[in-house]
Amino acid sequence: MALLLGNWHSVYAVEAGQIPPVCPVQMQARQTSLKLNDYKGKVVLVDFWATWCGPCQKSMPFFNSLFNELKKDGFEIVAINVDEDQETARQFLESHPVVYPTGYDPDGECPKAYEVKAMPSSYLIDKTGKVRYVHLGYRDSDQPVLREQIQALLAE
Amino acid sequence: MYRILRLLRICFYCGLLAMPACSNVSPWERGNLAKPEMAIQPNPNLHNFREHIFTAREASQGGHIGVGGGCGCN
Repeated sequence: MALLLGNWHSVYAVEAGQIPPVCPVQMQARQTSLKLNDYKGKVVLVDFWATWCGPCQKSMPFFNSLFNELKKDGFEIVAINVDEDQETARQFLESHPVVYPTGYDPDGECPKAYEVKAMPSSYLIDKTGKVRYVHLGYRDSDQPVLREQIQALLAE
Repeated sequence: MYRILRLLRICFYCGLLAMPACSNVSPWERGNLAKPEMAIQPNPNLHNFREHIFTAREASQGGHIGVGGGCGCN
């Protein structure tokens, strides 16, 4: 039935235990594409967000403080903005700055490759470069779970 | 003649199946749907007020539209 209704895209989302797909993201600071291989040996949180998504905005101060707290232990965050208008995201980041790097993917190539199921979606990648935890959505009550997952991977 | 008509009818129904009006909007493509002007109820306060009056007058509740503009956030 899903096929008949035109819903014939791939349903294989990136899950725990998989290698994250390679996708083109224009990184803000370095003007280069995102290479997750550069982060080998570190625990990386890849976070898909957009300015129009309320929970995404809500999650940013938490991720910012988490990054400041755990960076010294080898924790990195790579935020991928999926706004169709890059300028909107840049203006938003000027008024709500974060210390972790942000990349832009206005064409949605990256969320397509990851088969993102909700906004925001966070993919926690371990030191060997494997996805270990996928977090869909964001509520303030999710903070302890996220912190616990990150600290467990940092301790490995 | 009858066979041709039957074949045409089958083709017509197959054609209908191939033209669904629904299209898949991925979670990351819902920026426009998340705009306030795309909300089903652009003025929620006024809507709640009217619904309250309707409920009081008709002594009935519920059966109205769903909430949210479909941005897919949580």
